[in-house]
Amino acid sequence: MKKIETDYFIVGYSVASWWCIKSIVENDSFCCIQAISDEKTVYSRPLITYGLGKTINSIAYHGTLEESSQVQVRYETKVKQLDVNRKLAFLSDETEITFNKALIASGGVPILPEISGHEIPGIFTFTRRKDMANIDAFMKKNSSKNIVILGGGFIGLKTCEAMMSMNKNLTLIELAPRLLQNMLDEEGSYYLEKSLLRSGVHIIKEDTIVSFENEKGKLSDVLLKSGRRIPADIAVMAIGVRPNVDWLRSSNIKINRGILVDEYQQSSCPGIYAAGDVAETCHLLTGERNVVAIWPEAVNQGRIAGWNMSGRVVSYLGSLPMNAVEVGEKALVSAGIVNPTDDNCEIIIKKDRENYKKLVIKDDCIVGVIFIGDIEKSGIYINLMRQKLPVQAFFDKLLEPNFGLINLPTRYRKHLVKGAGIEV
Amino acid sequence: MMKKIVIHEEYCIGCRLCEIQCLVKHSSSGKIIKAFREEYPRPISRVHVEEEGYLSFALQCRHCEDATCIENCMTGAMHRDEKSGAVICDEEKCVGCWMCIMSCPFGVIQREKKERKIASKCDLCGNDGEPACVANCPNEALSYEEN
Repeated sequence: MKKIETDYFIVGYSVASWWCIKSIVENDSFCCIQAISDEKTVYSRPLITYGLGKTINSIAYHGTLEESSQVQVRYETKVKQLDVNRKLAFLSDETEITFNKALIASGGVPILPEISGHEIPGIFTFTRRKDMANIDAFMKKNSSKNIVILGGGFIGLKTCEAMMSMNKNLTLIELAPRLLQNMLDEEGSYYLEKSLLRSGVHIIKEDTIVSFENEKGKLSDVLLKSGRRIPADIAVMAIGVRPNVDWLRSSNIKINRGILVDEYQQSSCPGIYAAGDVAETCHLLTGERNVVAIWPEAVNQGRIAGWNMSGRVVSYLGSLPMNAVEVGEKALVSAGIVNPTDDNCEIIIKKDRENYKKLVIKDDCIVGVIFIGDIEKSGIYINLMRQKLPVQAFFDKLLEPNFGLINLPTRYRKHLVKGAGIEV
Repeated sequence: MMKKIVIHEEYCIGCRLCEIQCLVKHSSSGKIIKAFREEYPRPISRVHVEEEGYLSFALQCRHCEDATCIENCMTGAMHRDEKSGAVICDEEKCVGCWMCIMSCPFGVIQREKKERKIASKCDLCGNDGEPACVANCPNEALSYEEN
């Protein structure tokens, strides 16, 4: 067994780790960093849907990664055992790593429901590069035509978006009464549904798959709870992801859904940090514990973890769920609390045939945003929400078509950007 | 030090010439009449005049020092140009996921449909002298300065 000593040990090599490493190197330029990844190469995970749809040739990440000699990445390697007290990790490549600080950014794993017949060829999950390659190869070999996607959430819709350009017969199955139930409200999802139907996607709601049926060993149909039978050559399970924490269950690290971290991204074990889809943080607006598995928070959490690991104390303000998607020519952005259960929230809506805008306001601050159609200015509102800026002074203008920076208090807009002379 | 576009709201008369010149500069013909009448889809301006009562100003990307659009770009298309320091979207690499739009506190990134969907924003006119909006402002309400 090879023994290695390192200052920082990073589990997982995707977006949270990239930014963590950047922060570490910023502060501690002579340190040594060992990272491991269970993938073959480095790539940008959310690009797999675009890669499958052939919108792009490569799913490589073109942003800047820290690539100095002090950072060593071992690919196709996993942690066999993590000893948090002795700060020791045993790796699958028979290496033993002693570290000073560690980041766990092992991401998420797809949720797999128990459905009979799930071992039949043609059934996939879709969260990694190998899934993309497997689906692609299967499609080519079997010239699959009928595709069923189980799950009308974000991953399901991204999968749908990928396959829409491929001239397939698509069916989207969602258990809830509406699509994107966390990102949209009832009315908003109606706009999305209309657009999907226009593009020829079949939508089945309040139903789910109870079994996969085969013909000569190949997937032929899916049987739904309602008794309906849908022809299927390929089924993609896109119910969601959960934090990849099973490998940590025997360690002392406190885990709820994800790894519980404090405002410095540190877990219950001193010196062990977590960030990204595996970490359970607090919601920026409600303070409630949650796992917000999105790229922007992986960046934020990775950065904060890196700074704190390397001695610069910075607190994480909290995670804010947000996402953007465009399916069937309909762009949409959603952020914050879009379906409030609190009666003290005020809701303002502006809509026409193609556009829907909704703001949820609580205690004079924006707490939720849905934009469908014209999404260009959604970032202004999301930033107001992040900054918790009271909106009373410009409340009447909020959803006017020409609302912009000009309506915001001069003090606010002049200090949005660092650097003299470039303020608005 | 990078040069940036400075907004002088006190001089802006809201004539929107900056918008027209920006559109022409980013059209394929580079000609004003062709750009407006013959190019389809019509090129879009990357600068927009905001107006409220007597106040107006032209707003384009601020090329932030801490640019969330770069952090949140999942392809790395949105990047900082090493020479000019400007925040630039590499249209070849952009997949149109709109993460940048969602992240921009100024609302100055737009969707554009070329051969495919891409994010469109101020590119300081390729860092080729004064940007068109600055050069064509009749009242010096925009200036291009070192800071």
